[in-house]
Amino acid sequence: MVRGVTPAIRCAGLTKRFGAATALDGLDLDVFPGEIHGFLGPNGAGKTVTMRILLGLLQCDGGEVTVLGCDPWSDAVALHRRMAYVPGDTNLWPNLTGGEIIDLLGDLRGGLDPARRAHLVQRFELDLRIKARAYSKGNRQKVALVAAMASDAELLVLDEPTSGLDPIMEAIFREHVLEARAAGRAVLLSSHVLAEVEQVCDRVTIIRHGRTVESGSLDDLRHLTRTTIDVRVRRPATDLAHLDGVHDFREHDGHLVFEVDGERLEAVVAHLAPLGVQSLTSQPPTLEALFLRHYRDQLDEST
Amino acid sequence: MTTLVGTGRLMRFVVRRDRLRLVVWVVGMATVVAVSAQSLDRVYATRQAVESYVRLFGDNPALVAFAGPGYGFDDPSIGVILVNETQLWGMVAMALMSVFLVIRHTRAEEDSERAELLRSAVVGRHAPTAAAVVVIAVAEMIVGLLAAVSFVAIGYPVVGSLALAASYSAVGLVFVGVTAVVAQLVGSARAALGLASLVLVVAFVVRAVGDIGHNALVWASPIGWAQAVRAYADERWWVLALCAVVAVGLVASAFALASRRDVGAGLVPPRAGSASAPARLSGPVGLVVRLERATVAAWVLGMALMGLVYGSIADDVESMLVDNPQLADYFARLEGADITDVYFATTARMLALVVGGLAVAATLAAHREERSGRVEALLAAAVDRRRWLGAHLGVAAFACVLAVLAGGAGAGLSAALVLDEPSRVGQQVVAALATLPAVFVVLGVAALGVGVAPRMAGAAWGVLAFVAVVGFLGEALDLPHWLIDVSPFERLPAVPAESFGGAAPAVLSAVAVALVLMSLWGVRRRDVGVH
Repeated sequence: MVRGVTPAIRCAGLTKRFGAATALDGLDLDVFPGEIHGFLGPNGAGKTVTMRILLGLLQCDGGEVTVLGCDPWSDAVALHRRMAYVPGDTNLWPNLTGGEIIDLLGDLRGGLDPARRAHLVQRFELDLRIKARAYSKGNRQKVALVAAMASDAELLVLDEPTSGLDPIMEAIFREHVLEARAAGRAVLLSSHVLAEVEQVCDRVTIIRHGRTVESGSLDDLRHLTRTTIDVRVRRPATDLAHLDGVHDFREHDGHLVFEVDGERLEAVVAHLAPLGVQSLTSQPPTLEALFLRHYRDQLDEST
Repeated sequence: MTTLVGTGRLMRFVVRRDRLRLVVWVVGMATVVAVSAQSLDRVYATRQAVESYVRLFGDNPALVAFAGPGYGFDDPSIGVILVNETQLWGMVAMALMSVFLVIRHTRAEEDSERAELLRSAVVGRHAPTAAAVVVIAVAEMIVGLLAAVSFVAIGYPVVGSLALAASYSAVGLVFVGVTAVVAQLVGSARAALGLASLVLVVAFVVRAVGDIGHNALVWASPIGWAQAVRAYADERWWVLALCAVVAVGLVASAFALASRRDVGAGLVPPRAGSASAPARLSGPVGLVVRLERATVAAWVLGMALMGLVYGSIADDVESMLVDNPQLADYFARLEGADITDVYFATTARMLALVVGGLAVAATLAAHREERSGRVEALLAAAVDRRRWLGAHLGVAAFACVLAVLAGGAGAGLSAALVLDEPSRVGQQVVAALATLPAVFVVLGVAALGVGVAPRMAGAAWGVLAFVAVVGFLGEALDLPHWLIDVSPFERLPAVPAESFGGAAPAVLSAVAVALVLMSLWGVRRRDVGVH
């Protein structure tokens, strides 16, 4: 994707090894300002390692990485004034209260907006006076979210930010992420809640074994995968099953149900037209189907 | 007894989890006492040597405070010397073993929420504690057994050897019970560690005061009970039964308390805190101060108490001088200095060795932050790694200064009172400050681990154990001089018996600074996190 702006995150051919284990093996990732970018992959694919490299906590072994135009390893401190992070597994200081932790982290990041802090605390219904050791997982997550989102960061790095949140809080989270995008911030969002990614993300990157396997807008990606067609026709259509790009052809109750590759859709519909279409429903591929397709390949490979 | 369902299975789990740790504790303790016994047997091979030891050490209150009451000194044998040299510290080490291991398998598990995972299985309410208590008690008894076997093999009398070895295990068992109770009272592993250590310090001090005054106060301390077994000197076996009964009673109380509280909580309910951060909780230093202040305060208080005890026997050192001109000659020949000054120099060094523990603990707090993953939240904010680690090291160094000062002031104050020499306060504070270069070397070693090789950070405890063994037992163990000289504490000038100066303090300070700089250099260059 070519745009006239500097990407907020740019990774090219990123590699990282831990001893004999390869965590990242040539990962590519571009995130632009004003974009919510979904970061998907099965467990252990390297999402958290990538985020830790973006934060300068880990040093990559190879490839290029820039965050807001800077090197995340050597310019970590200056960069962190401009970005905020929500870790996937939030571990807080057990003897500090939620309010103290939010203020401390905000202060360390160079200040937070008190009005926004108050607003977020109210929206997330967070009791600030409780010591962190007594918080549930969801409440710990809220503390980290408020601390990150109350800042003026240009870039938000969110590692499974809604894990542990209830559906109402998830909705409030989505609202605030969209607000952040409207304010021109860039958001990198890793999540296993594909419905959430589908709702808020402009583009997604899917990684596997530390390598990018798919990247683009949801529309682009949908084009790459299969649409499910359910059609009733007057004339027999036995040759349909053998058409290029048609898969999983089955017939029941006079309905023909099959899947079509995105790029063959036009040709298949053209073939259907003269057969006398009585009814037709098409189901666009979900992100889940997209994700599972890559995931299945992996399962097939391993068996 | 449904509350104990699963204990057997969990015992195997405790052994599996700590198979290395338990072996290191058991073999390490047994080896240290066996080696001590071996070297004492060599040094005091003749009747004459035994008698001169007793003449020299018999009535010295300072040594009574830190060695024991000296049962059997009226009819001395090599066994009595073995008791005097190893029993007290062996018991303290056994108590610490109980404290660390029991907390690790009870309160620390609850903190980590792993306990919930276990308790959700078919596991009775008391089973995790029961399993830990049984396994650790068995480990304590194995140490005793190995010690007894090695004493007898070296040639000590069988009955006395059994009694001495049993006294180690007895104190270990009592502290298994003490720690099991403490783990129910407070709401976190750190608080439990602090409270259990406090009980140990009190037990030690109470017994010391009782031993010096030859009064019944010794019966207020489990350490006093175990000493009263009078190994190698007309043994009294029933005191061991007393220890066993108390240990069992404590464990039973722990179970009773555990039934009255929720998993993960203490018996003391939590209070609501502040909804916003006060001004002093800002920046990495503010955070570290907040995290460490309770621990540091406990250390400072403990050091002041220890100092007061050391100083309060200063006039006994003096009076012993009058009573025993031969001993005075001995010290005068040895150091060419006033015996009270020599005593105070030794005091300052011993207190500094204890502060070494604070140096390691406070420095490794940084490592704990990293391992728990909390440091990510800090470093993801605009905090330079060197500033983060520097905050921990700075607070640790400051805490060491406070603790050393408290020890020196305590010793100086009580000495000034009993001797009626006000100048002792200032003198002892100076003597205490003079030990700081060695304390900072220990801090630097711990910092190097945290900064450069986090996986090895725990090795700092090993270094501390080494300098403590050299400092407290160096002569008893008859260690070679080059090995003793490795310890920075042995290089310090003996202030106030000697004047502060020479190359050693400067060299030690330079080593400490170099270690800290290397650690700050290293932390900038390595991956941070759980890996």
